[in-house]
Amino acid sequence: MPGITYFDLRHVTGQITHIDIDNGVFESAGTTFFNKAVLRVISNAGWGILQIDNYQPCTGKKFDDLLQNACTLSAITQEQVCLADVPRGVLSVPAMKEDPRSVSIEEKSAILAEIEKGAIHPSVVNRRANYIERVEQVEFSDSSGNEYAYEMCRSGFNVMAVASQNGNTQMGYEREHSIHGFNLRHHQDLGKKAAGIAVDLLGAKAARGGKMKAILDPELAGVFAHEAVGHASEGDLIQEGNSVLKGKTGLKIGNDLLTIVDDPGIHEFGFDPVDSEGVAVRRTEIIKNGIVNAFLHNRESLAAVGNGVAGHARGMPGEPPLVRMSNTFIEAGDSTDDEIFEECKNGIFLKGSRGGQVDPGRGVFQFNAEYGYLVKDGECTGMVRDVSISGDILTTLHNIALCGKNRKMSPGYCGKGGQSVPVSDGAPTILLCDAVVGGSGMD
Amino acid sequence: MRWWVAVEWIDQLIQKGLKSVDEVEVFYVEGRSISADLKQKKINLASASEDCGLGIRTIHKGRIGSSSTNDPLKWGECLDAAIASGHLATPLPWDGLPEVQEVSHTPLTFDPLMKVDPASALTLLEQMLAGSEEHAAEVTSGSAGLSSATVTLANSRGVHYTDSHTGVSLSLEAIDGQSTGYEFDHSSFINKVDPFHVGERATFFAHQSAGGKEIPTGNYEILLSPLAYAELLGGVFIPALNGRNVHAGRSKFAQSLGEPVADQRISMYDDPFLPGASGSVSWDAEGMPTHRIDFIQDGVLKAFAYDLKTAYRYGKVSTASAVRGGYGGSPGIGHHNFVVDGERSSVADEHVVYVHSVVGAHTANPMSGEFSVELSNAFWMDEGEFQEPIRSAMLSGNVFSLHNEIIGISKESRSIGSLILPSVKINKQRIIGK
Repeated sequence: MPGITYFDLRHVTGQITHIDIDNGVFESAGTTFFNKAVLRVISNAGWGILQIDNYQPCTGKKFDDLLQNACTLSAITQEQVCLADVPRGVLSVPAMKEDPRSVSIEEKSAILAEIEKGAIHPSVVNRRANYIERVEQVEFSDSSGNEYAYEMCRSGFNVMAVASQNGNTQMGYEREHSIHGFNLRHHQDLGKKAAGIAVDLLGAKAARGGKMKAILDPELAGVFAHEAVGHASEGDLIQEGNSVLKGKTGLKIGNDLLTIVDDPGIHEFGFDPVDSEGVAVRRTEIIKNGIVNAFLHNRESLAAVGNGVAGHARGMPGEPPLVRMSNTFIEAGDSTDDEIFEECKNGIFLKGSRGGQVDPGRGVFQFNAEYGYLVKDGECTGMVRDVSISGDILTTLHNIALCGKNRKMSPGYCGKGGQSVPVSDGAPTILLCDAVVGGSGMD
Repeated sequence: MRWWVAVEWIDQLIQKGLKSVDEVEVFYVEGRSISADLKQKKINLASASEDCGLGIRTIHKGRIGSSSTNDPLKWGECLDAAIASGHLATPLPWDGLPEVQEVSHTPLTFDPLMKVDPASALTLLEQMLAGSEEHAAEVTSGSAGLSSATVTLANSRGVHYTDSHTGVSLSLEAIDGQSTGYEFDHSSFINKVDPFHVGERATFFAHQSAGGKEIPTGNYEILLSPLAYAELLGGVFIPALNGRNVHAGRSKFAQSLGEPVADQRISMYDDPFLPGASGSVSWDAEGMPTHRIDFIQDGVLKAFAYDLKTAYRYGKVSTASAVRGGYGGSPGIGHHNFVVDGERSSVADEHVVYVHSVVGAHTANPMSGEFSVELSNAFWMDEGEFQEPIRSAMLSGNVFSLHNEIIGISKESRSIGSLILPSVKINKQRIIGK
């Protein structure tokens, strides 16, 4: 079609099965279906994009009409979009140990109910457990003749316990999500664990704010990497001028021992066999030995900015892909836990994550732990609750003094531009000096 | 009229469903939208979507089932899935879907002047960019979107209501060195948004926040902008007014009905008939006629929000607070236009720390209300004038208890999504400097 220099179509069909148990009551359970596509065209200058509900694959005049509609939209664009040449290839999706679709929803409900019952405790006033299973069939084709298709299944569960005593209300929360198949079995202990944390938090103190040494467990240190470095290295933000890492390639912003990676190809929750633009995925070392090394890119931002690796475009079904993280982690170091606690001596040990946020242009981030313990003379003492840490991208990474030996990844979801995609974050246990800790405690 | 086409299969669906279950409810939405995005000052993409979605709820002997699809031709399969899902649900007390009641059918959030086309998006972006020229900061990104949708709700007791909505939304981000600014606006009515002002404020906050100074750790009188207040209120305080959370033990307010929970100058209510407000609606997502709900009057907790399911379960009355986030799933408890109101005053006449927004509000503890967030676009303010910017600091506190420390609410209010909020001045809040 005249004027069109590129188009691609990503069509995703699938089904979502969920179960929701609230204090022993099956609130809802069942399956829903979806069918969404996104057609992107470059003509005139920039992108014309059609988001299509209930797409029926078509060719000939019908498809040409869709292309024409997208062209009409792009008539108002002004920026000349160029796409970088990129490597192609599709990884195979790892086989599932047990396909969740082979397990009846009645059996899933019964196992989830056991997990939820595990949270029964005299001080627990509410228990809630959810199961979610999402199967997607993805088909991609573009005007250069690239085509791929794959199927992915992600499933997992959350269990929450709320404990209450004399007007003090606290919660404990556990979750497991996987790309490796049905993972509800053998997790009855997690309901009990969530209840235990909620009950223990009833006796925890609010943390006192200020600067201190903080030990971050692998889950929280992973969120730290995601917020402190991951977002600011996204090529679209660099291109817009909305990241403090713009123009900082080669600058040392952390210790020699610090290497931070995003790798969509590893078999963790953020796994992508190929990205949403049909680009082969690759390990990208964002920070290498403390130096800003490579940005995460899509084809457009790689062409505009350079200094990095494409293959990081990800979109929800029916949504235009954005530059996103996938599996983001701090590489393991060589310190033992004993050495980390000894070096910390007096400070705070923070565990779990309630998420975080970053203003990449300003270079300021914040993230929150589920709970923690005060560290005195290298030993964990009293429990603390509601602890946040904030920091500055260009300076805080220098304060990572030690990295432990064992890296662990945790699954989650990350939001950007109204889209939520599955990710995992991870790290070894780390020691952060001069951490700015927020808490409302006064002693 | 297009929805007459819809009627036919909706009636067929209901009749088919009634062969297997006591009651059937159908929610159907059709809509279209256009948006255009800026990369710096140039339009990088324009997109359009045509959406449709069908949500079905079935009730049989107290067992509620649901399913959804975005292919309305597959309503038969969707109905079967809803009925199957009902088999798994625990039976709960249920006294029936609403019958036809007297509700206004005049759309409250439909603007016939709204043109959902690329040219309108282009005009809005150009006006925002013109506004952004007022201050020395660079535009990094921006967006303008327009939408229209028709919603149909039908049930097996004869309800068949249709409503139309329109919407416009704008946002712009800017940067000056390492100082960022962000502004947005939204409405159901095209003439109620001010794109020039959005552009002007985005570059204002970016430029005005540059060169900020540190603030020592201590307790300060703060003025939360409607945006910062919304970020803290939305995830913690409002869910605690949800009847489901109250009865399930997930609300701080579970034992507080009739008790003071905020300063006596504060009232909070849901007004579904507020003229021009984007959540205004005559019937809720289950077809119950809406009305005003006074949650908090002069600081005293007076009411919680209920949908039918929760009301039947706990012997209460629905407050017509059922809302849907989309066509998927079942309706849940929410609000239409949530207003914080009370005695207004000049809140900016003294020396205060003005907080425009915060980073990380969603990490607040939703049960206890504890939070510690990073300040964003914070300034010293005197006599309502922005003074020296504050570079970086954390604000720590408790969303519930800070309502007892409110010492003033501003004369002006602003819509933030479905919240209509003033600026609030709060005594003795903990700021942690760096």
